[in-house]
Amino acid sequence: MDISVTLFGGLRHFLPAGSSFNKCTIKIDDESRLEALLEQLPIPAEKKYIVIINDEKVSREDYADITINSDDTIVLLPPIKGG
Amino acid sequence: MAWQKQILRVNLTTGSCNIEPLNMEWAESYLGSRGLGSKYLYEEMDPAADALSAENKIIFATGPLTGTMASTGGRYTVVTKGALTGAIACSNSGGKFGAELKMAGYDLLIIEGVSEKPVYLHIEDDKVELCDAGEIWGKTVWETEDLLAQKYRDPLMRFAGIGQAGESLCRFACVVNDKHRAAGRSGVGAVMGSKNLKTIAVRGTIGVRAKDPKAFYKIVNEVNARMTDRDEMARDGTIAMVDVTNGFGSLPTNNNRSVRFEGANKLNAEAMHSPNENGHTNIVTNGACFGCTIGCGRICKIDPTHFSVKDRPEYHGASGGLEYETAYALGSACGVDDIDAATFAGFLCNEYGMDPISLGGTIAAAMELYDIGAIDDSTTGGIKLEFGSAQALCQIAELTGKGEGFGADIAMGSKRLCEKYGHPDLSMSVKGQEFAAYDGRSMQGMGLAYATSNRGACHLRADPYGHDFETTEIEGKAKIVAESQRDVAFLDSSGLCLFPGGCGWGLEDYRTLVDAACESDWNEARMAETGERIWVLEKLFNLKAGLSKKDDTLPKRILEEPADVGAGKGLVCRLDEMLPEYYQINGWDAEGVPTEETLKRLNLN
Repeated sequence: MDISVTLFGGLRHFLPAGSSFNKCTIKIDDESRLEALLEQLPIPAEKKYIVIINDEKVSREDYADITINSDDTIVLLPPIKGG
Repeated sequence: MAWQKQILRVNLTTGSCNIEPLNMEWAESYLGSRGLGSKYLYEEMDPAADALSAENKIIFATGPLTGTMASTGGRYTVVTKGALTGAIACSNSGGKFGAELKMAGYDLLIIEGVSEKPVYLHIEDDKVELCDAGEIWGKTVWETEDLLAQKYRDPLMRFAGIGQAGESLCRFACVVNDKHRAAGRSGVGAVMGSKNLKTIAVRGTIGVRAKDPKAFYKIVNEVNARMTDRDEMARDGTIAMVDVTNGFGSLPTNNNRSVRFEGANKLNAEAMHSPNENGHTNIVTNGACFGCTIGCGRICKIDPTHFSVKDRPEYHGASGGLEYETAYALGSACGVDDIDAATFAGFLCNEYGMDPISLGGTIAAAMELYDIGAIDDSTTGGIKLEFGSAQALCQIAELTGKGEGFGADIAMGSKRLCEKYGHPDLSMSVKGQEFAAYDGRSMQGMGLAYATSNRGACHLRADPYGHDFETTEIEGKAKIVAESQRDVAFLDSSGLCLFPGGCGWGLEDYRTLVDAACESDWNEARMAETGERIWVLEKLFNLKAGLSKKDDTLPKRILEEPADVGAGKGLVCRLDEMLPEYYQINGWDAEGVPTEETLKRLNLN
């Protein structure tokens, strides 16, 4: 299934080629876990970010347990600061 | 070296302008800029004096790295007693003015007294004169700079001054330099206005010398190589944060009634970069302050067909555009999702000399007063002050800049406004200063940072961001806030900007630059102690000014009304649990007063 993922702030530098301003579509198997989806994104390991699924923040320790549904809204946010 | 080792003291009452040696003992203990300016203010004025009285002083303070080749070395701080807060104000700005003042030969410019009639200060190295400001009083910041630039015909002359907002003592008037950079917060512009000082024109040719220029040059290059994430900041600027906080659920909306804004996608980096239906793109380019290798500034144009500027070609040019804080204050805080309207209101802030955060925060409070019926059209002069109204935002911003109509009420700031109309709880402020663009319920550390900030609610006095985005649990936050307040106090006192810290630098990079530029050994322990000494000195000023534990708090909404959505959904700020630990970590007693032992340790007794 195709899952739309939005990468905010500087993370959008790591969108796959052909993506829109800050969104990309990732193809994953049904019943895939969040961890598997994140592994498909070319974000360097040293880049920190938090994951929001359907407006709720997800804990890092749950990445391997969360099953992705086709209608999930997935957002990756970098922990930038200032203003 | 790196310090110029002299200050310029201008007494507006007597008209005297004197050059004095810098107190090097204080420089060694407070570094420069925010810290050193605060030390002079603390020693030279009674903190209990009225902010708008002749007894208050206003200090323009550079840091040892201001005007050097270190990246972002263009910062200066305006230190005074804040007209908005009654607390110590230390309002930091970039642009090119600070470096020019330093290169004219001064670490600090101390302004005291009150001029009988409007004047401006003209500085060219050691030639200093007070000049009649009759022709520029009543002019905007932009008009003033253009008129004086035409008079002196020196393209390298820099200006820092006030617009009509400062002249009319708007409580959140700011000091604007280089047309669109500002020492924005706490009402420092009103203090300048109360002294009848319109602007400072400065040209410096002396230069700045580091302790060991060769070693300094080497370290500058080394640390610049570690600034690896600057491209992101150059392209998107701080406005990239709109999506982060909105996604997380910490973007204050409609006077903090909500923490997520439906119209955020019309105010974010994508909206700024994308052509609208008329083919107009808001952003023109990015901009950089003196010596900056990041360039986070937004240079923007308003769509010339937009209602705000349709018949006003003077606003069709490019100028300082929305940053994250202005997108919040002139956008989500008021429920306005019109990027051109918010940009226009931002232009007005630069033109008239107003802090956009406090302007937006106060308009948002007024919108809530209007929404609940505490004020109506008869109060606002017929303006439909509804959340989401871009027209109302633009009208009120202009009236406030001019001090006319209901704008005169807005110019009081949200605390005084909400008290006047019987709903003090609706002011989203701390110590009278409006919130920045983070909600203290989903970001608990930021809530504590707001409550304890010496200058009133502020997002740049501590660094709880990383931990706040990780967890809403409060364990560990008091320590993070307390320690980062000291770190930031040191960094602000160096003459550098905080943003390299978000682009790859660590504290050690700042420290090595200070150590290479300044005499004596600036090691890690001394950096920590200096930062803490500055923080505690500011606290002591506030205590003498009459502030106390009761002022280290948050509005009722943040303490009692749970956040509606996002990571903090259902949470209020647990300030009452964090504050005692915060005081303890600082070595303060249960009332938030530094203990004798703490004062002794920091040589403050």
